[in-house]
Formats: sequence, C-alpha cells, structure tokens
Amino acid sequence: MKSSIKESPLFWPAYLEGATLFVLDETLIPSKFHYVKVRNTKEAVSVIRQMKTRAFGQFLVVLNTFLLEIERAKTFAPKKFLAQIHKTATALNNSRPTFPFSEVTGIVVGWANEALAKGEDAPLYVKKNIFGYLMGIRERRLGRVRQLASILQNDDSILTHCNVSGELAMAAALCKQEGKKIRVFATETRPYLQGGRLTVWELKRLGVDVTLIADNAVGSLMADGLVNKVVVGSDRSCANGDFANKIGTYQIAVLAREFGIPLYVLTQPSNRIPTGADIPIEIRDANELLKFGNRRIVPGKVKGFYPGFDVVCHELITEPIAINVR
Amino acid sequence: MLDNIKSGVLVHGLFDEAMFDQLASEAQEIFVLEGRPNFQTSKQSIAAFNKRKITPTLISDNMAGFLFYKKMVTKVCISYQAEDSRAVLSPIGSLILAVLGKKHKVPVYLFPSSEGLNLLGKPSDLCLLNGKRIMPKNFKGYVPLVEWVAKKYITKSE
Repeated sequence: MKSSIKESPLFWPAYLEGATLFVLDETLIPSKFHYVKVRNTKEAVSVIRQMKTRAFGQFLVVLNTFLLEIERAKTFAPKKFLAQIHKTATALNNSRPTFPFSEVTGIVVGWANEALAKGEDAPLYVKKNIFGYLMGIRERRLGRVRQLASILQNDDSILTHCNVSGELAMAAALCKQEGKKIRVFATETRPYLQGGRLTVWELKRLGVDVTLIADNAVGSLMADGLVNKVVVGSDRSCANGDFANKIGTYQIAVLAREFGIPLYVLTQPSNRIPTGADIPIEIRDANELLKFGNRRIVPGKVKGFYPGFDVVCHELITEPIAINVR
Repeated sequence: MLDNIKSGVLVHGLFDEAMFDQLASEAQEIFVLEGRPNFQTSKQSIAAFNKRKITPTLISDNMAGFLFYKKMVTKVCISYQAEDSRAVLSPIGSLILAVLGKKHKVPVYLFPSSEGLNLLGKPSDLCLLNGKRIMPKNFKGYVPLVEWVAKKYITKSE
C-alpha cells in the first residue's frame, strides 16, 4: 500500500475562493503565514513581480488569473472574450522574463481558440480545461514526489538550493515515513533567502532533519563528503535538456560534477527554447542585493549586480525527474 | 542590461594593501563576493578599493558561477592563511571559485591573508542579516568560515 503524502503549503501555494485568488506570500515566511488577495490580472502581475510567489506558485497564479478574468468576461461576445484572454496572456507574459509564462498562457489561448472554432461556450470550455489541467498537474507532481522518494536512499545526505516548491520536502517526509533516514542541507539562497526562509521552514514542519548553510559553503560540504546527492528544481527547460533555475544552481552543478556527486533536477520539459543560451535571464534591481530591511548591507561606494537565475547545461545533470506539463 | 557590466577580476578574501595596489594599477572591473555570514571580506575589499578611487561591484556568493558562465571573469584572486603540501586554507567560498576557474580556464591567483579567520562560525551567525532576524529559533546551521583548496586549482601564488 502506498504511504500517504504529507503536503507542504509550498506545494500548492494559491487557491481560488469565489472571485478572489489567495496567494501565499512567500516573502513573509517564516515570520508570517499570510495569503495575498488577487482579484484581477493587474494584481496577479504585481504579486509575481514582487516575488510574493515564485516557481510553481507563478504557474498557479497564471491559470487562476484566467479563471478570474473568465468570470468577468463570461457574458462577452466571442470575439471580445478572446480579446480579453489575449490581453490577460500578454500582461502575464510581460511580468517576468525567465519563467516560461508564454508557454502556460499559450495553452489557455489555445483552448479559447479551440472553443470558438468548435462553436462551444468558450468561457465554460476554457474553465473546464483549466480545472482539469490543474488536477492533472497536481497528480503528476504527487507522482514525482513518490519518484523522488524512491531515488532517495537510507542515510542519504542531500544538498538543495532555493526551494523546490514543496516536492523535496514532501519526498523527504515520505522517506521518513518509510523508515529511511534522510538529512538535508539547504543553502540560504541570497539575496531573497528562499532556502533559509522557505526550505528550512517547510522541512522542519514536515519533521525532516535539515541544516542551513551559507551559499558559499557548498564546496566545503562536497569536499568533506557531507552530501551524497544534490536535488534542485528548475524554472525553465530547453529542448536540449539545459535548464534555468535560481541563481547559484550553476556553480552547485559544476562543483557536484567535480566531486562526483549526482545532480537530480525536477524539470518540466519543453522544446520551445533550443538551448540554455537562449533563455532570457532576469537582471533584477541591484538594490535588492545591496540593501536588506531598507539598510545597506555593506558600507562604502559599491555597485551591485543581481542576475536572478542561471543556466545549467544538460551535461551536468545526472537524472532529470520530469513531468509533462503539456 | 548585461551589456552594461564589463568583465573583470573576481576578488574574495582578506588581503594586504599590496594586492589592492596591484589590482588598482590594472584598471579592470572588480567583482567582490559578499562573504556571508558576516561580510567581513567584502567590507575590507570595498573599503580598500574605495581608498584607491575604485567602485567595485558586489555580488552574492551564489552569483560567481553566472559570471564565469557568461565569460565575465578574467582572473580570480583569493587569500590564504595557511598551507600544507597539497592545499591552502582560504575563506569559505574560495573552493567554488577555484573549481569554476579550472572549468572555465580562468587563472586563480593566491595572496597571503592579511589576517586569520576563525575555522567555524555559529549557527546564530546565519540568524541575522543587517540586525534583522531572518531565521526562526531552533534551526540547525553549519557555518564553516574557511576551507581547504587543493593546490591543483591554483595558477600562481603571489
């Protein structure tokens, strides 16, 4: 019999209730557990740009934003309805550059076109498809949690970076339920500290042994044999298997290869972009790096440079753990 | 936006004045790593470069790989406070730079440290940033402050 999976709040960090989308504000964790209310596309773009949600949370926000807009546009004539879907898609596509927003919005636009071509009730058709799609994705992600849990072995010591949207924490908790002893090292993940704030928090909640390290300690850990697997997520994948993830993933992948440590990546394969070199990398405001809590982190005259993501070439991946999101 | 950033030297450690004089004379862009948890290395480097009318660029410790990937690093300078026949003891994060240097064929230069660092910090060092609590109580932390870097990664010792 399959063990039941304990769910992390980061696994499904947004939900729709009536005409409001509730999005878990990940920037406040662990000090506060608060959901931001999103009522329209403008507010959805705002939570994405402010990084109140990220990774899989962005995917949920995109699809649920269409549901909000469909509710508003359900009495529109077909052409006007389609225009509204396009308008929503364009706004979401322009929110941040690295995550493949256009691939997700393109699916919804495709359903809207399909409904109109078939003479279906377009709002109902698109809504049904979104709900079904989300349920399918949820099942596939739960399946991936089980797959990852089967890869993790007793006494494994895992290094992770940033936050894998609940899946690593849930897999580690599942391992624990199954009697496997698993230990996780989580990087801080400067400058937003998602590793410290989110990964450590969710692993602790699920009863998993987790140790926080600074981003610069990964080499020491690997050289000293303190980790034997690396597990990371991915924000965007390419046709050749390259992927983009939170800044810092590339150097972890290079070090893992140097020290013979396998690297597992949770991916959502796509062939829309040929190689990692073609992925647009978001360069964020340097003040997000130079300041913390509105105060400078170091004195003196200094510039800042903050690329939000980096690209890992497929040769450095030991095994992609993929789900189909088409 | 990436076009606005020139390639340059990646600096990490605690250095004597001579190293800063040498880099100042080379007129290259300077990248300085934050040096978590206490920013000691970046604070020293920024002050020393400012004294020489140079404004360096600060990056987080996890951003070095990006610079190498984008071919934006011309050389790496790290400090060391001890050595044996096979390795040098350098500030935490130096091994990442040394391995990246090897992979990307970027020379790694070694300079004597101006002062010694403790071997290990406390988990509570990761608890605060700019005086603001960033971690809840009772978390486990591992805070090495130095690490051994094998000499096979070093191009030249100054």
